[in-house]
Amino acid sequence: MLKYTIKKLLMMIPMLLIISALIFFGMQATGIDPVNYLASPDMAANPELMEQLRESMGLNDPIIVQYFRWLGQMLTGNFGTSLSTGTPIASIIANYLPATLILSTIALILSTILGIALGIISAVRQNGIIDYIGRILAVLGQAVPQFIIGMILLAVFSVQLGWLPSSGRYSANAANPTIDAIQHLILPVIAVTISMCAVLVRYTRNSMLDIMNSDYIRLARSKGIPEWKVYIKHGFRNALRPVLVILVSRISLLFSGSVVVENVFAWPGVGAELTDAVVAGDYTVVMVLALVIAASVLVASFLLDIITALLDPRVRANL
Amino acid sequence: MANNMGMAAGGAGISKEARQTRSREMMRRRIRKFMNNKLSVIGTVFTVLIVLCCFVLPMFSQYTYNEVDIAAGAVPPCADHIFGTDRLGRDLFVRCMVGGRYSIYIGVISALTSTVLGVALGAIAGYFGGKIDSLIIRLTEIFQSFPQMVLVMIMVAVIGRGMGNLLIIFTVTGWMQTARLVRNEFLAVKGETFVKASEAFGMPKWKIMVKEIIPNILTPIIVSATAVIPGYILSEASLSFLGVGVSDSTPTWGSIMNSATSLGAITNYWWMWLIPAALLTLFVLSVNFFGDGLRDLLDPR
Amino acid sequence: MSEKNVILKVRNLSTSFVSDGREVRIVKNVSFDVKRGKTLAIVGESGCGKSVTMNSILRLLGRNAKVTADKIDFYEKMPDGDMKIHHINEFKKPNGKEMNFLRGQKISMVFQDPMSSLDPVYRVGDQVMEGLREHCKISKKEARERTLEIFKKLGIPDPEKRMNCYPYEFSGGMKQRVVIAIAIICNPDLIICDEPTTALDVTIQAQIMDILQDLQDTLGISIVMITHNMGLVAQMASEVCVMYMGRIVEKGAAEDIFDHPCHPYTQALLKSVPVLGMSGEKELATIPGATPNPAELKDGCEFADRCSYCTEACRSGEIPVYEISAGHTVRCIRAGQQEVTS
Repeated sequence: MLKYTIKKLLMMIPMLLIISALIFFGMQATGIDPVNYLASPDMAANPELMEQLRESMGLNDPIIVQYFRWLGQMLTGNFGTSLSTGTPIASIIANYLPATLILSTIALILSTILGIALGIISAVRQNGIIDYIGRILAVLGQAVPQFIIGMILLAVFSVQLGWLPSSGRYSANAANPTIDAIQHLILPVIAVTISMCAVLVRYTRNSMLDIMNSDYIRLARSKGIPEWKVYIKHGFRNALRPVLVILVSRISLLFSGSVVVENVFAWPGVGAELTDAVVAGDYTVVMVLALVIAASVLVASFLLDIITALLDPRVRANL
Repeated sequence: MANNMGMAAGGAGISKEARQTRSREMMRRRIRKFMNNKLSVIGTVFTVLIVLCCFVLPMFSQYTYNEVDIAAGAVPPCADHIFGTDRLGRDLFVRCMVGGRYSIYIGVISALTSTVLGVALGAIAGYFGGKIDSLIIRLTEIFQSFPQMVLVMIMVAVIGRGMGNLLIIFTVTGWMQTARLVRNEFLAVKGETFVKASEAFGMPKWKIMVKEIIPNILTPIIVSATAVIPGYILSEASLSFLGVGVSDSTPTWGSIMNSATSLGAITNYWWMWLIPAALLTLFVLSVNFFGDGLRDLLDPR
Repeated sequence: MSEKNVILKVRNLSTSFVSDGREVRIVKNVSFDVKRGKTLAIVGESGCGKSVTMNSILRLLGRNAKVTADKIDFYEKMPDGDMKIHHINEFKKPNGKEMNFLRGQKISMVFQDPMSSLDPVYRVGDQVMEGLREHCKISKKEARERTLEIFKKLGIPDPEKRMNCYPYEFSGGMKQRVVIAIAIICNPDLIICDEPTTALDVTIQAQIMDILQDLQDTLGISIVMITHNMGLVAQMASEVCVMYMGRIVEKGAAEDIFDHPCHPYTQALLKSVPVLGMSGEKELATIPGATPNPAELKDGCEFADRCSYCTEACRSGEIPVYEISAGHTVRCIRAGQQEVTS
């Protein structure tokens, strides 16, 4: 198991290297000259000064050197500043990343529990009410984009009914800050959860149906143990692993979803910030945020991978 | 022992006619299965219907999609404007139909181009194997581990927004699944006799790939190309809704909704986003069901 | 035949599967008795409905299966010597309480494929104990001891260590022993063996058969042996049912079937078995043609197309069942004709 963990950890290094290289060279390909952002108009009129500035920033070095310098800066936490606002990117991350992580983590946990539960009930009570609900959810969750789900939620629960706040993480002068924070979370979490859930319901249902047709389920039944034990001990326990494998591969979907949903609910997270940066052409921010999101996805996948591996007796045996 | 009895008679000696009738019988059975699946039939009907509407109906309208009439701004659905107008007074019915055209264009063309790229890379990986294979597989893993939305946004930041750029971006970011599928199919087919025979005849490698193997795995490729269309339409809608997709002058289902993002507009101008949203959802659902039916029809694995 | 000697009585059992809105009959009007302490063999080609028949009795088939029967009676011998009859065909739920009372405890089953029959995520010891602890409410320690005992009896080497292993650490033969351990752990009265040795090689086959034979001799359990191995039938069975396309075509005591096979299918089946010491020139007979598709069956005798004695009369109507000697029945028109002519 330790070997497995270390192997998985080591795998992340080349992944991060390649991703960072893609981001860096991609941005270089834009031909945006950061000097143009920094120089004042009269400085820009003076090519010599511009050249000096370029030299001092290392922009005349070979591109490979620039890449490794940039990578070094990233690793030491020196993220630079925003081109459009001049804010240190480190503080942007500190301000916005927690919001994204909270939203994604809660949505992940909720959608995993709900998706698996609905999937199992759908499989057990095939053609029952829950099965239909689960199947409709699976179909709609994949056909209705998250921003539309978000807008419908906003229109109904926030504007029409006025039950829940429409944007942000906190209200300025809430009586009870905890409840206020939870109220702000509900709608964005639902919007992200529905789409994630849709994928999981389908896979859990199919994987459960597959397993319930397997030989070892028949053997378990032939022992005369109650049906619910067959479902939980033998069915669910075996269905869990393939479902978690799917979950690992869909972690990126979660982050894609939160980018969109953060925009709809003005949720102050890195996704909304990334969108603003793309619109503003603020390429230092885009680079760093993309890297941060990619790293988060890798870490989340790694953690889930480990949990999944623990469910396999073969892997556990080599603990 | 006993179960082997009479096996010989079952396998060999079936006449060509018998095989043809059998395959025809099988096709008929699958078509019947397709027709029995009501959702697939409904999906097919709606897909065709919406495509026809989008391409035909705007021609008969008295309005054009970009005709501004500030005086008739933000009119709710009525007899004159059955879908209402947006804030600039443009007729939303025509805009939704023309927007549908663009959305469908983007979905279909992206599906085609990304499938072509995916087939090319998958074929190379599957046929040559070895280092090229593991390189391409690693590349798919890296691309897939990236949240697609974020990847697309970075690309938008790099090459800018607009319809042409979106097509390029979707192609570059969407080939992975097809590549994996084609690679696996290639691995399966590679060892078959007809490939070995072609190799023995000294046929050039590219010719074997294009003329011998790909026609044999066309069915799953078509099925997967159909299955990815809705994804591109949804991605385009999300991007345009966020203002980083097509340019503002191009109407698509997503960009039409972009005009109703403010909190006030959500209920006051509900028709501006709810109608294109409904159309988008209906179309994506229909194509999904159509795709499911197509898969059962062509590729009943 | 006195009821006391019968442990399972099946009358007119039919099973069909529904797929694509069509119903395909797999087992048709099957009737037989299993005698207490004896072995009944059910033989026939693959796909003739042997396994489906037995799975129907234990109600282990999936949702798309429809099972009907006039009678599926299991005779439970009570401690005071009385018989309690369980009408399995009247149980409402296939996996309900009544069924689960019988399963494992009274009737158990050894499945065909040991490779996929064990749950991959639990230790084999726990899987063996699961049924025992369900039925006998005993402590974990006692259950462990009992499992250990069974493992030893079944010749599993180093049982204490092996109990804590996962199925993937076992070979096919060892897995099948575990499956048998699961089947016998609760001392059932009837064991249904569904081709218990097809997946195993010959030496292990013999060992497994010895184990089963030994169980019958010492504990007096009854066995239903589903197989297509005639050699095995000769060795184990006291009675034989020959099935073809979902019907029992011939039924009788093992000697009768082997010495006077009456149905053309049984005759062909016996001729296709290699016998030790058979001369080189003598060729093994094969049955012409393949088993027909159960969905496309016509009227009359199912075997007609492959039968060398086939006449017009075989192709229509219901084929009657003739009793040619006590307990020996045949479903073939020829048997009736012979009676008349002889």
